[in-house]
Amino acid sequence: MKRFIINFSLIIIAFLIYFLQENFFDWFTIAGVMPNLFVIYILFIGLFSGRNKGSIYGLVVGLMLDILVGNKIGLYTITLGGVGLTAGIFAKNFSKDSRITIMLMVGGLTFAYELIVYMLNYFMLDMNLEILIFLKILVIEVIYNIILTIIIYPLFKKFGYYIEHEYQGDKILTRYF
Amino acid sequence: MYKNKKHGVLGIIITIILLILIVIFSNNDGENSFIENIGSKLIMPIQNGFTYLKNKISGDNAFFTDINTLKDENEELKNKNKELEKSLKEIESIKTENETLKEYLGLTEKYSNYKTIPGDVINKDISNYSRTITLNIGSSDGVSKNMTVIAEEGLVGHVISVTDNTAKVQTIIDPASSVSSMLSTTKESIICKGTLEDKSILKAMYIPTEASVIQGDTIQTSGLGGLYPKGLEIGTIKKVVDTENLTDRYALVTVSVDFNKLNSVLVINQ
Repeated sequence: MKRFIINFSLIIIAFLIYFLQENFFDWFTIAGVMPNLFVIYILFIGLFSGRNKGSIYGLVVGLMLDILVGNKIGLYTITLGGVGLTAGIFAKNFSKDSRITIMLMVGGLTFAYELIVYMLNYFMLDMNLEILIFLKILVIEVIYNIILTIIIYPLFKKFGYYIEHEYQGDKILTRYF
Repeated sequence: MYKNKKHGVLGIIITIILLILIVIFSNNDGENSFIENIGSKLIMPIQNGFTYLKNKISGDNAFFTDINTLKDENEELKNKNKELEKSLKEIESIKTENETLKEYLGLTEKYSNYKTIPGDVINKDISNYSRTITLNIGSSDGVSKNMTVIAEEGLVGHVISVTDNTAKVQTIIDPASSVSSMLSTTKESIICKGTLEDKSILKAMYIPTEASVIQGDTIQTSGLGGLYPKGLEIGTIKKVVDTENLTDRYALVTVSVDFNKLNSVLVINQ
């Protein structure tokens, strides 16, 4: 029952993020650049509930995005799945207690994610390569994501540890060794 | 512990305020902001006073000239002003009449050849690097893949996928989009591609070496390739960029449709 409620609220949050990204961050931008909340969301799930669940959520949310907004089916699915997988690997190797660590993870993953999406898009569709402008947008987006992480970190941590306790309660001590 | 928590909350509030400030300041393009207004209101009277003093001190004799000549001049100017105002009013009435007439004529001319399906934009893209939109009409309304989408001002894009009730449209400002088009004056064919840099600028490439491209020239679809019908307006040339090699030169095109305020569109049903 507890797990059902957790999953249910995670799905609700996914839809909430979609509508935020669609409407609110369409005008609440830094110099016309919006953040990418989905990377933060999948990173959060991967960090606190493990590699498998992270990548499954990444694949499902990615598929949803592909159907709703994408040009070609599969692009967001693969990349967000990759984000979930990486987050699961991060969870084993880094402490989740420090805000700086989470900020660096969000920054790095956003950078890698957008770079891969742009490269895939470039190879699949007929596009001009505009590296400098792309990097400018990307840097602003990474900074925006990090600022958002600072704001939502307490909530992030509280809910995260609740999920972690529910899913891997007996294995929780391993991260201190 | 308690102190730590307090610090954390304070940090979060400061970050939120900073974020809001960054968003406000990074997005005002050229217009006077609230704070700038207050600043200028505080400083301007003082500045005016100083300028007045400076002009007086620097020995400008015009201030003390004969009042009678000034009175005559004033009278003359007043009469002239009245005449000018009269003619201005006449011109304005003619202007508005002209505009309404043009509107009637333009609309019927533009869209009488095509059968169109009206629709609304319900979704915009969530990514910074692509610009697709979603419409609230789908295959049950007669929309199918590769149909052309237009707005009052000109070309919007083409349908890339449809469901029963929605249609996804790739706009012409998407970086992955390219439109076969031509200059309306010389009929030279070029290709317009979307750019990442700006939401209202296209890059016109593959301009023929002997073609003369003029700033302000309008650009239309050429009908080549079969995706878009011929003669739909795309935009006007903003700037021609010459490179070392003549074959590499390109032009920046301002699109005529305002994609930030795009709400209702028409899908051409051929």
